[in-house]
Amino acid sequence: MSDETKIDLELDLKGLLCPLPMVRVSQNITNVPVDGVIRAVATDPGAMADIPAWAASTGHEVLSAGKEGDLFVFLVKRTK
Amino acid sequence: METVEMQTLAGVIDKKMNRQLKQYIDICARCAICKDACHQYVGTGDFKYLPARRAELIRQVYKKYFDKTGRFVPALYEARDPDDNLLDELYDSTYACTGCRRCMYYCPFSIDTAWILSVAKAVLIAAGRGNEMLGQLADAAIFKGDNVAMFEGVITSGFEEIAEEVRAITGNPDHGVPVNKQGADVLYVALAGAHSIRPAAVIFEEAGESWTISMFEAANYGYFYGDPEKARLITKRYIDEAVRLGVKEIVVPECGHAYRVAEFFYEAWSKEPMPFKVSHILEKVDDYIKTGRIKVDKGLIEGTVTYHDPCQLGRNGGKFEQPRDIVKAVTSNFVDLTPNRAEQWCCGGGGGIVAMEEFKDVRLKSGSKKVEQLKASGANILACPCENCRLQIEELNEIHELGMEIWQVIDLVVASMPLPGNKKSAGA
Repeated sequence: MSDETKIDLELDLKGLLCPLPMVRVSQNITNVPVDGVIRAVATDPGAMADIPAWAASTGHEVLSAGKEGDLFVFLVKRTK
Repeated sequence: METVEMQTLAGVIDKKMNRQLKQYIDICARCAICKDACHQYVGTGDFKYLPARRAELIRQVYKKYFDKTGRFVPALYEARDPDDNLLDELYDSTYACTGCRRCMYYCPFSIDTAWILSVAKAVLIAAGRGNEMLGQLADAAIFKGDNVAMFEGVITSGFEEIAEEVRAITGNPDHGVPVNKQGADVLYVALAGAHSIRPAAVIFEEAGESWTISMFEAANYGYFYGDPEKARLITKRYIDEAVRLGVKEIVVPECGHAYRVAEFFYEAWSKEPMPFKVSHILEKVDDYIKTGRIKVDKGLIEGTVTYHDPCQLGRNGGKFEQPRDIVKAVTSNFVDLTPNRAEQWCCGGGGGIVAMEEFKDVRLKSGSKKVEQLKASGANILACPCENCRLQIEELNEIHELGMEIWQVIDLVVASMPLPGNKKSAGA
């Protein structure tokens, strides 16, 4: 999916510990247009639960969340 | 703002005001001793961060609605409505407060400004002005707790990776990270990151502890947000899990507010006694060292080590000596900060402020006393058992080029343990 999706904002969250990866995504979600996508790259495994939980509770959408090597990569779509 | 809405907000204050809080707002003599105690006021010089001023906003509304003097002659008694202007002021002074309670320590009447500000947060939430980020973090935690099956796979997979790392460090193929182990003595309620679990697992396994971990974490942004119900729900997840697993003790990690919530607040929120003991991880580690259950070597850490008392663990939790005893056990070169223990300066990073971007400027300025203390110590390693404190001090370390290493205490302990796979070394 990442090959096909237009990325509106890249967020480097490497080195940040819980809850900062989720905080940075939240702070930046309004920096992309509605239907825009953030690609966030984190190193804290806690983000694998935190970012999808944040998206679900705020109504935004995680298009994908997965591990690439030592990195956790998220595509988050602003829905509103 | 409509009159009826302001009456509703005043009603929130009335509902929260018990005799102790009424005494606090009556008794404040505005002596302003608290101004020299507050790291935010000292760091910024901004009147709105003066502790007596923060509490004064609640007092003004209380006077206007519930005190004869303020009701009939409001101008004379500085009584005010909770209008938009007051709420703007209240938001800044309340959510910026780190809840360190250093002002209370120095106040001649021991006025607990942080407690008064819990009333302020209730007012702000009722007015729809609760901090959005803290609210989102709390809601996300509640969502995770409600939908644990959705996250179980990724969390368990993370535990398995950590177990591999633990075995690599200890060199013992039998070591690991027990998950949901029925009948374990100890439930370790970690933070979400691996950094909170890995060193604790090494220590528990080396100590031969009967322990387990579960799907639920200790951080509680419902508490920072100021909503006791959200805070209770977040805590209830691991309390229920501890009951289900039949443990004798829950151990909370190096996270100041998590300790205070579990040890001091949850029973009051839930109105139910907990059928097990609550301990801080450093109480356990101190015991393991003193009883010889884990071996530490003072020669493995190079440099001079100092220790920061997180406000929620130290001044507000009473845990001053065990962490120091641990640090003294792993190094011959310990120097304390001045002042320390109950008089320790807040680093400026507590209360959830590290997650609130709008307070970044005041947060960094309010770290000025901590920077002075760290420079004066001459230490090159700081042991600090609180996640929020470490986030703040790491930023101060970089901005002020202090050249320090900031360590969790349990990481420092693991670095001092003569283990075959111990590659992490402090001060080297």
